Amino acid sequence: MIKFTNVYKRYPGEMDVLQDISLAINAGELVFVTGSSGAGKSTLLKLISAVEKPTSGTIFFENQNLSYLKKNEMPFLRRKFGMIFQDHKLLYDRTCFDNVLLPLAINDSDPSDIGRRVRAALNKVGLLEKEKLMPITLSGGEQQRLAIARAIVSRPSVLIADEPTANLDRGYADEIMNIFYSFQQVGVTVIISSHEIPPTKMKYKELHISKGSLNNVPLLT
Amino acid sequence: MFRFLHNHYHALIQGLIRIRANWIGSVMMFLVIGITLSLPTTGFLLIQNASQISNKIQYEAELSIFLDKEIKAEQVDFLHSALKKNSLVKKIHFEPKLVAWEKLQAQLNLSSIEDGVSKNPLPDAFFISLNTLETKKIDSFVSDLKALEGIEEIVLDGGWVKKLRSILYLIKIGIVILGCLLITVLVVVITNTVRLQTLTYQNEIEVSRLIGATNAFIQRPFEYTGLIYGLGGGLVTLGILKIILVSFNLVADRVENLIGGNITLNTFSVEQSIFIIIIAMFAGWIASYIAAKQAIHKLEKNY
Repeated sequence: MIKFTNVYKRYPGEMDVLQDISLAINAGELVFVTGSSGAGKSTLLKLISAVEKPTSGTIFFENQNLSYLKKNEMPFLRRKFGMIFQDHKLLYDRTCFDNVLLPLAINDSDPSDIGRRVRAALNKVGLLEKEKLMPITLSGGEQQRLAIARAIVSRPSVLIADEPTANLDRGYADEIMNIFYSFQQVGVTVIISSHEIPPTKMKYKELHISKGSLNNVPLLT
Repeated sequence: MFRFLHNHYHALIQGLIRIRANWIGSVMMFLVIGITLSLPTTGFLLIQNASQISNKIQYEAELSIFLDKEIKAEQVDFLHSALKKNSLVKKIHFEPKLVAWEKLQAQLNLSSIEDGVSKNPLPDAFFISLNTLETKKIDSFVSDLKALEGIEEIVLDGGWVKKLRSILYLIKIGIVILGCLLITVLVVVITNTVRLQTLTYQNEIEVSRLIGATNAFIQRPFEYTGLIYGLGGGLVTLGILKIILVSFNLVADRVENLIGGNITLNTFSVEQSIFIIIIAMFAGWIASYIAAKQAIHKLEKNY
């Protein structure tokens, strides 16, 4: 589904942030991208989700070479991913409902179906009763759940979460991780970056990055 | 089609929300656009009224051809037939000197003997209307006539109306240029305002881009904001014009009673009013389009 071959990423005026990355992620896998701060985890996720382009090397997503993707084709590719950010990136001048609605509006979804899908997504993360509230009134964990609802509302085939539990206490973090596991169980590819792998009984793949290079860790069960 | 309209409806609502969120700034923007546009439109209104007055004056180029006092009857006949044949001549009226003299006497209520005028001082004259207003043709026609024997003097009448129209036309061009300059200023001002707005909504722009929004989708609410600014500004312009007209006509009514005549101003037609609003909305749209495009371009550079 996702395949990196000898991928390098360098920002102007910097050393290589990622070096010679080659990896493969299959559909429906649960993948943890681990490593210390500044190792290149976020950059790797940005490359997977076509937010950034590699300096060299090739990235394939569903047999499509992302390096050859035109600028105006990028938004349509990004719609295939559900993105969850460490800082949530919620819109604080809109209600929870309107935040979750945004991807559907972008996707040009059927207007008559939008309300139902937004509520289904909110229900999935346990925020249905808070649809009319503003995100600022929610706790950190709830805000992250709202971000997940926004990511899943357009039913993406890949969920990408950049340190989704970094600022949460253990209870909230477990809650969030369980939501991700539930998506993986229904066939969604879930890619999560984290300093370390949270305790789980799920089958997962770890991609450990150290100083921009990938150290493959065998699949655990 | 329904989805397309829904998308635009969504963007319009977002535009309205943004305007409401910063309603003081929005009202200021309406006023800036309204006052700026009212300058050229007031000028245009005045010119339009002046043009209407000048158009009411029946104008066609008229020539008064005064003949030699000693001209013979055969020569007069020759000139008459020559003028008749000329394609530039629309109407001819011949005024024999005796008739003209009688008319003058009747008008001034005098008799030649009492007033010491022993001889008719007036010549025979042709008064002709031309079917052209082109200066070149008229000048060439006059110089041809001057070459004919028996013509003493030729006077071109009604030239002042033409001069007035030319002056009004020049002023109109001046106002159009001024209008274009002011619209450019407006575009710059609105661009700056929307640019500041894009900074406020940078988070939204960034999130939208990350989750797959096209540039058109991100720009659309800003474009609607610009259109609404233009609509509000255009309505303010019409309001200002109305106030100016009503105030002027109130005073004009009183002056008319004293001096007679009609000096009240007419307002713009519905079509012209709509045109003003469209111009304002276009300025708003183009400015917001530029500002939003720049904001997205900057953000793209960050990635």
